[in-house]
Amino acid sequence: MSGTAFLEAIIDGILTGGVYALMAAGLTLIFGVMDIINIAQGIMVILGAYLSLELSVHFGIGLLPGLLITVPLMFCLGVAIEFFFMRRLHDEDRTKMSILVTYAVAIVIEGILTATFGVNYQQLSASYVNSSVYVFGFYLPDIYLIGFGMAIALLVGLYYMLYRTKFGRAVRASLQNRTAADLIGIDVNRVRTISVGIGVGVTAIAGVFFGATNAFNPNSGYDLISRLLAIVILGGMGSIAGAMGAAVFILVINDVVAAWWSPTWAPIVYFVALVVVLSIRPQGLFGRAAVRTQ
Amino acid sequence: MSNLIEVSGIVKAYGGIKALAGCALEVREGEINGLIGPNGSGKTTLFNVITGYEQVQQGLVKFRGVDITNAPPDRVFGLGIGRTFQLTRMFARLTVLENVLVATQREEGWARSVTRLAGSQLERARALELLDFVGITRLANEPAGNLSYGQRKLLELASLLIADPAVLLLDEPAGGVNPTLINHLSDRIKDLNRDGKTILVVEHNMEFVMGICSRITVLSQGSTLMAGAPAEVRSSPAVLEAYLGADEEEAALDAELRRELDAAAHANATRLASVQATVVREQGPDAGSPREPEAAGPGASVRTRPNGPPPLLQLSGVCAGYGGADILKEVTLEVPEGAITCVVGPNGAGKSTVMKTVSGLLRPRAGEVSFRGERVSGMTPKQILAKGIAQIPQAHSLFPEMTVQENVEMGAFTVGDRRLVRKRLAAVQELYPVVRDRAHEKAGSLSGGQQRLVEFARCLMLDPDLIMLDEPSMGLDPRTRSMVFDMVALMNRQGKTILLVEQNARAGLKLSSHGVVLENGRVRLTGSGHEVLTHPEIGALYLGGAVTATAA
Amino acid sequence: MTLDKQTSAAGDAPASPAAAAAPGAGGDRTQAAAAGPQPALRSPLRLGARGLILLALVVFPLVITDPTTTAIAFFALVFMVAATSWNMFSGYSGYLALGHAVFFGSGGYALALLCQQLGVGGGWPSFALLPLCGIVAALIAVPVGLIALRTRRHTFVVVTIAIFFIFQLVAYNVGFTGGTSGVFLPAPPFSGASFNTPFYYVAFAILVLSVTTSWLVRRSRFGLQLLAIRDDEDRALGLGVKTRRVKLSAFILSAFFVGMIGGLYFDFIGQVFPNTAYDPLFDLAVALMAFFGGLGTLTGPLLGAAVLESLQQYLTLSFSSSALYLIAYGVLFLVVILIMPRGVVPEISDLLARRRLKAIGASRAADKQLSGVAEVLR
Repeated sequence: MSGTAFLEAIIDGILTGGVYALMAAGLTLIFGVMDIINIAQGIMVILGAYLSLELSVHFGIGLLPGLLITVPLMFCLGVAIEFFFMRRLHDEDRTKMSILVTYAVAIVIEGILTATFGVNYQQLSASYVNSSVYVFGFYLPDIYLIGFGMAIALLVGLYYMLYRTKFGRAVRASLQNRTAADLIGIDVNRVRTISVGIGVGVTAIAGVFFGATNAFNPNSGYDLISRLLAIVILGGMGSIAGAMGAAVFILVINDVVAAWWSPTWAPIVYFVALVVVLSIRPQGLFGRAAVRTQ
Repeated sequence: MSNLIEVSGIVKAYGGIKALAGCALEVREGEINGLIGPNGSGKTTLFNVITGYEQVQQGLVKFRGVDITNAPPDRVFGLGIGRTFQLTRMFARLTVLENVLVATQREEGWARSVTRLAGSQLERARALELLDFVGITRLANEPAGNLSYGQRKLLELASLLIADPAVLLLDEPAGGVNPTLINHLSDRIKDLNRDGKTILVVEHNMEFVMGICSRITVLSQGSTLMAGAPAEVRSSPAVLEAYLGADEEEAALDAELRRELDAAAHANATRLASVQATVVREQGPDAGSPREPEAAGPGASVRTRPNGPPPLLQLSGVCAGYGGADILKEVTLEVPEGAITCVVGPNGAGKSTVMKTVSGLLRPRAGEVSFRGERVSGMTPKQILAKGIAQIPQAHSLFPEMTVQENVEMGAFTVGDRRLVRKRLAAVQELYPVVRDRAHEKAGSLSGGQQRLVEFARCLMLDPDLIMLDEPSMGLDPRTRSMVFDMVALMNRQGKTILLVEQNARAGLKLSSHGVVLENGRVRLTGSGHEVLTHPEIGALYLGGAVTATAA
Repeated sequence: MTLDKQTSAAGDAPASPAAAAAPGAGGDRTQAAAAGPQPALRSPLRLGARGLILLALVVFPLVITDPTTTAIAFFALVFMVAATSWNMFSGYSGYLALGHAVFFGSGGYALALLCQQLGVGGGWPSFALLPLCGIVAALIAVPVGLIALRTRRHTFVVVTIAIFFIFQLVAYNVGFTGGTSGVFLPAPPFSGASFNTPFYYVAFAILVLSVTTSWLVRRSRFGLQLLAIRDDEDRALGLGVKTRRVKLSAFILSAFFVGMIGGLYFDFIGQVFPNTAYDPLFDLAVALMAFFGGLGTLTGPLLGAAVLESLQQYLTLSFSSSALYLIAYGVLFLVVILIMPRGVVPEISDLLARRRLKAIGASRAADKQLSGVAEVLR
């Protein structure tokens, strides 16, 4: 493999890694605040992609303007799921139970998507999906750049929100010590609901970029969630910075192996990497052991 | 007597902090050895090292002359060292009997263990015998998760004994346990020792340690200060300095602490009063406290109920509990304004539940909680907080990953006015220098006593009228404890009404002007702190006596 | 249901506080548990009901010969075995494994390849190879378990999912699995209306075997150690339980039965593809079934599998739409888990126990007695 192709694979990996980091950030935020692993995160990205598809095909609303509609919709979906299901999970088995409950939510969404759209593969299109710019000897597709830029902007925004705003403090407080948060007047339930809303809301944005760069059908959620889980676990559950690092790490491995060897073996390589890393460092590459006291 | 356990030169560091710095320990066959030392001196860490829960970088652990350094916990247990945990651990969903049966066999082939019943006739009989020995036979078929804190301690002990270990390592067996049970426990431990068990016990309760131990080892800052007979340890100036010296009431508070206190008391007179004035001015009469200025004086705490104004907080006929079962059964009590009221009572009496019910974490099933004559039961924690009631829950209520300053600022979460927040922050920094000195360190990295002060500071940020403190002395060594109690008294002198829950009934009541004895979810006794403390019935009810008789 | 957990002294139903002191049935149980491992006196009614269900399962294909119905019954049996076996590890130890399709699919591939290589015919000769399928799955479980069991809690869940995907991807890409074109199994010499019957009985036999094993595990020391690990693994380790060995043993045992039933399942289907062998829905389905009925109980997974799998097959066959069953499946699970968070069996048996107590009017007396006990040592 030539050096250029190698470099190109790395750049590709970093750019797509940004979008994955966004999806993973949502997942890790939900885990951080609620101790809940949202298995439905993958299918929600696909749902976001289908919503954008509908808007652009039937209503002529462009992918990016359409986000003004899809993001609030997905936010509401997250709020509803938190209210109806996650809130009702209690005590010691919470994380484990949440995996099953959100898995069930995922298959319901998958069923609805299959019933509505069938199983044929779709892809989002727009003028900037197929165009690209030429930088330093590489052709970089516009959609990758837009996606990367937007993901980074959102992640920075998320970081700012968590560490600089009052709401962010409330989020971190309820994450670190629920009882104490209650006792200083934080409405923990509301904080959690909004956090889950945000965590799910970002899937609408990720959906556009995933849908524009990949062919998808209602089944694609499995592949996606397995990658996202790999990312958040590697990054250390609950750590947004870790999720970013791990997303780029995994996507770069993916793209390099795909370019170097074969696309079919790429996922195997990073799943193996995941298994190896976790059996040596169970808290993940970037995670710290036992962050919380509760 | 030969040494059963020999520990030497253990070094255990977390990051840069050395929890154990070359400590040594000898446990002789047949003795009860007490391991004592101030908070953070490494006692529990040493337990974890001996029993294989933590790995060490340096040092040697020997059992009967065999090197067991860094051996895994199951092997250590198999060799005959059993341990309990500071916060008791058991198998919550197994029954009490099953809990005891888990450890029956040390070695067993796979095929045999699959086909064999969980507990032969003989093992079951033995398990029941042990439950009888600790006194919880009648709970044999209860899920262990339903047991009270004290009962769990007993179960934990029984579940070790079934495997007949040669040495028992007991981590704070008397911690958070009422005096009756402490007596019961120390009797059991003595019985076991008489039957040939060697025992190593970590404990803060000096009376308990001095009462049962034949030898005492003192740890200080990760190394061994001395080992010797209780009398020797008691009279050693070095130990006194490191540890026991501060136990002798206020007189023993060292000069530095006293200076700090004086400074704080002085600062408050000017500072806090002005902050309070601003509160009333800036938030208007509704949001602020309609407190009389003269209530904020030392005289307030001696006011007695009959002649005084209506109580600040009143509970009448409150029933509350979790999942259908009432823990509080028609609790009626009053908290007079400006006073320190202390609620005491055995574990599981419902002391913490009273606080949770007042602060709104728990909704009462029946009855009413009123504050300044206004019904507050049924409100959310946030609304109750806005009325001026704040609660500091049991240990570990800070946000460990936030800085000290962030933690303190979080106290004013519901206050919108930034200027006011800054002002109050300055005031509490004056009051508690640790808030300023450690402002940008993570709260989780502070010592237990410092964390308490930060909790106080956080609570004061909202300038509440009533502060509820749930066991502020829990897990603190005597010196830190008396410092914390002084701070509580100081808050009171500054005009805060205080409702205190204390396991250490004597210390709590001594501090308080009013006492309430709670037992089994009912109020048994009320009166002034001194009255309650000296009431003839309290001995029977609480400090051991009549209850012991029924326990048999 | 067929086997009541009360027969085991190490019963999983949390003894209701009142039961300890109540006279009558509850009291008997307490006595029995305290006195020794002998099962409590079974009421003749319960014994009769159990016998009836067993009998009904035996004569089922003889009475109802409609192939559609017997096929559904066969699938239900398959998943009853799978859920029971999954529960043997995950239910008892609390380690949520979401990769058991690895063993299910490997059992299928093992049978297909063994038949192909050894020239074994379909039907009974291929059934004889089923134990080998179980052994292959168990052998695969050794390294998988050694790696995955180094982690705990949700990390373990994710590792099992990752290992699952590795198997799926490998199956697509290596030669001997036939890649996407799959492997065929020899056609069985059965025909017509009775085609399903032999499969049904073999599945039934494996079910009896796995339920018996699960029951043995449940009341053995080994099982008690697994349950101890579920509740507090570190404490169990400190009480001398060889936790790694215990967990791995249960994992392998569980894989063995899943592999065996996987072989039978694909024998019935007739071919193995990577996407059917290593199907993420299988991973979820067995877990949902066990949770639906009651995790860690003996009858729960049986009930869950019987209900959910029959429903799935029925919906698929009647409406030939996978979308519908996905929706129905998910919704049913969500509803049940919200109403009965511990699963159907524990919640209902608790309800019944409370009713019975009320009926005897013992609850008040028992309560009093208990509070007396509690008073002694708070």
